[in-house]
Amino acid sequence: MKERLRFLDSGLLLPMVLLVIMGTLTVYSAGRGTFQSGLWLKQTVWTGMGFLVLAGVAATSPLRIFRSAFPLYVLGILSLAAVLVAGHRIGGAQRWLIIGHMTWQPSELMKWLTLLFVTHRLGTRPVQSVGAWDLVSASSLVFFPMLLVLKQPDLGMAISFLPILLLIPLLKGLKAKWVLAAVVGVSLLGVFSWQKVLKPYQKQRVMTFLDPGADLQGKGYQINQSRIAIGSGGIFGQGFTSGSQTQLNFLPVKTTDFVFSVWAEERGFLGVLLALALFGAVIMRILDTARVAKTASETYFCVGAAGIFALHLFVNVGMVIGLLPNKGIVLPFFSAGGSSTLSYFLGLGVVMAVRYRAKTK
Amino acid sequence: MEIQHQTQIQKRIGIMKTLAWFMILWLVLAYARVQLWKGREMQKLALDQAVKTRTTPAPRGIIFDRNSNKLVDNRRALHLVIQYEDLPRDPGQIEALAAALQTDPDQLKRRVVAIRLAAGNRMLVLQDNLDDSAVARAEVLRARFPFLSIEVAPRRVYLGEDLAGHALGYVGEVTPDELAKDPARYQLGEIIGRTGFESARNDRLRGVDGQRRILVDYLGREVATYGIQEAKPGRSVYLTLDAGLQTTLKEAFAGNQGAGVVLDLRDGGILALFSSPSYDPNVFLNRLTQEQVKTYWDNPDRPMLNRVTQGRYPPGSTFKLLVALAALEKGIITPETTFTCHGHKNFYGRDFRCDAVHGTVNLVQAIAKSCDIYFYELGARLDVDDIYNTAKKYGLTEATGIDLPHEAVSRVPSREWKRRVKKEKWYAGETISVAIGQGANSLTPIALARFYAMIATHGKLLTPHLLYGVRQENGNGIDLYQAPPAQETGLDPGIWSTLDQGLYEVVHSGTAAASNVPGVTIAGKTGTSQVTTFVDKAHYASLSKKLKDNALFAGYAPRENPQIAFAVVAENAGFGASTAAPIVKKLVQYWFIDRMKKPLPPPGSRLPDAFRPDLDAAAGEEPK
Repeated sequence: MKERLRFLDSGLLLPMVLLVIMGTLTVYSAGRGTFQSGLWLKQTVWTGMGFLVLAGVAATSPLRIFRSAFPLYVLGILSLAAVLVAGHRIGGAQRWLIIGHMTWQPSELMKWLTLLFVTHRLGTRPVQSVGAWDLVSASSLVFFPMLLVLKQPDLGMAISFLPILLLIPLLKGLKAKWVLAAVVGVSLLGVFSWQKVLKPYQKQRVMTFLDPGADLQGKGYQINQSRIAIGSGGIFGQGFTSGSQTQLNFLPVKTTDFVFSVWAEERGFLGVLLALALFGAVIMRILDTARVAKTASETYFCVGAAGIFALHLFVNVGMVIGLLPNKGIVLPFFSAGGSSTLSYFLGLGVVMAVRYRAKTK
Repeated sequence: MEIQHQTQIQKRIGIMKTLAWFMILWLVLAYARVQLWKGREMQKLALDQAVKTRTTPAPRGIIFDRNSNKLVDNRRALHLVIQYEDLPRDPGQIEALAAALQTDPDQLKRRVVAIRLAAGNRMLVLQDNLDDSAVARAEVLRARFPFLSIEVAPRRVYLGEDLAGHALGYVGEVTPDELAKDPARYQLGEIIGRTGFESARNDRLRGVDGQRRILVDYLGREVATYGIQEAKPGRSVYLTLDAGLQTTLKEAFAGNQGAGVVLDLRDGGILALFSSPSYDPNVFLNRLTQEQVKTYWDNPDRPMLNRVTQGRYPPGSTFKLLVALAALEKGIITPETTFTCHGHKNFYGRDFRCDAVHGTVNLVQAIAKSCDIYFYELGARLDVDDIYNTAKKYGLTEATGIDLPHEAVSRVPSREWKRRVKKEKWYAGETISVAIGQGANSLTPIALARFYAMIATHGKLLTPHLLYGVRQENGNGIDLYQAPPAQETGLDPGIWSTLDQGLYEVVHSGTAAASNVPGVTIAGKTGTSQVTTFVDKAHYASLSKKLKDNALFAGYAPRENPQIAFAVVAENAGFGASTAAPIVKKLVQYWFIDRMKKPLPPPGSRLPDAFRPDLDAAAGEEPK
């Protein structure tokens, strides 16, 4: 048995499993006594399916995976287009496809398919021959689905495509002119989107971030309640299913965006340290895999995957404590949700496949 | 080249690892700051918003009549409120709420600010006594304004409705002015007696509010209770009123305006007190708008005036007993002194008239026939200050001390009074009018009843009162109220027997002979007081009802062993004997005869309308 599951990387699997257990318990606690009281069971099922997907992908040769990158990318784009045309609308955003009794959020998976396709394209060329034009065309492969996601609108999700662009400094290093170009480009994009693209609610989020104390009952409410929840956790936490902020529903969207506040309130600073250490272990393991990968595509993919995890960790965990604007971005392994869980496991499956091949050949 | 690139990429991945650790370190520091450094502060914030202290209003004391018939009860009713800690700070929200409730936004803002400043943990009541449909509407409002809540609080129910409106009064929220005047006495938002007995004995009726520490969720819904200090209800209070006699009095008025009061001669307890038109105190429990309140106060029939204690009427012939008393005590006449009545007589160059030609009459006859000429003669021989001093001696120039708020003081004129108020000297001719109870005389019915009670008790001045007793803390017995001891006036027994004889003759053979009740001897005096100047009979007949004479009847019964004294005024009803005396007849009939056989049922056999929303809907708009 052990022999047959050798393609699973225990160094990655162990922190993952621990995080998944912590996450599911947190979803259980957050859902208690609400309409989401059964959500933890659903999440367990999704996690189970996630492990199956992970095992399936990990057992597949990375070569075969990368070979299907292009058709998968096209399928992903089509699914995003389908969302825009016939997607399910919840609260002003059109982000979901309904398949049978399931709702599926294609943008979650698209992140990984984009990463797969871009790294495949860049990796199949010799490193020294990758020019600026290649990077621009690779970036546009990222920006195209990002724009489709922005159109839904889903700012948080669009941002989580950005780590793929980490490949540029990876390949070219951080040169002053690149940094300058990026800063200018981002600020131009920022001004443009503030005036033309951002919806009022998105602007409000930014304003709330800039001055969260200004209106505690209104827009700053979520962040403020979340900070109270985290703070009242203290060192040791209020105990499992005992956080008053969580259990009395002062904490908003506590099974998804603000799930980490629940963990922080009930498990305290020690729990936060443990979770951050495990997330760190996951990211380090992925970056280590990038170092030992046999092909350039595989290296790039792992770096992108580590970037995606790091971004989600930083933006979500930073957001719930008020370091960053309230983006509506999920935390892997903690936030409940089928599409995201399956997608992360798929991404990690590819990482494991890379590691397995690196070990065996 | 390839190798070099490979090592560069390896190096950059290493940098990324370092960056990732720094990022995690940053997060750790941010969490350490909030969880370790600010942990206590945040825990306090969490507790503050989840653990609330709520004030449980104590029910006021229940009010019974002397026979334990319930007059005022408490019911648990639902109120739409804002809890103290949920008071909105955003003026926009208050305005939106005021618009939704269709109330004045500025007033609502003032109330919100006042309650917040008072910091007394009291709720702001927006709507009282919600019925089913109002609860449904309130729930809809709560979805829009999550700071609203629906609380159970006791509410007064006046079972007899308008049976004893003026005696009982009603309750309402303490006003900002009252709070400002006496901040130690009341708490903001407290329900206090606004008028009537409720106000006069507020301190006896109020209970001690309770406190409740509860855990609430984000919508302010109670999740758990941490501790309860139960509200202590006010003690039950018994009134001297007799519900049956009160009902008889109310029905005897049959909608006519006026006032009536019956005193218990043992201690001055008020057996019945009715001011017509009366009002239903239940109406004032709903938060009336300024305009609605105005319609009550501006009503030309003046239903809000307690005519018994605040209405001042020229006493007419009922005043003659005092004039007789003054003349007898001064020795101007003896009981045997006679004067001759020709129907009119000239005093100080003016012709004064009498109702009839009575011939030669002594004092008893003059009282019985209400001969004005006889008393004009006394008026011509007495100084106005003699009359005033006698009135003072027998308690007509002071407040009676009844336990109802804002009692008016009766007025008997004197030289000093005229100089002070009218800035004029007294003319002897005015004393002639005063002697028959006209002129500047004006007495409250309660003072008049007290005066006749004084005659009935051979000179005792009682303090009229409504409080009979308070139920003991353990609920077993009643602590009886000790009325202030009666003042002895030192009425001469000989004078007393003459007056008593005269009052007996009034009903036996005089002006009120028709008012005799078989088996009970009534002693009393009729009175008719002019509202406007009498010209002749044709002119009088053409007067509008408002200007017709007031009819009065005051006295006591039974004559041999007086138990009750009474005073009745029927406004614009004409001759005293024909309208006021029959009301007294009904009172005496009930009190001494019918009550023993078949007392009237206690009030409150039907529920007030406010508790029957289905019927309200059928009946159309209720004043709310």
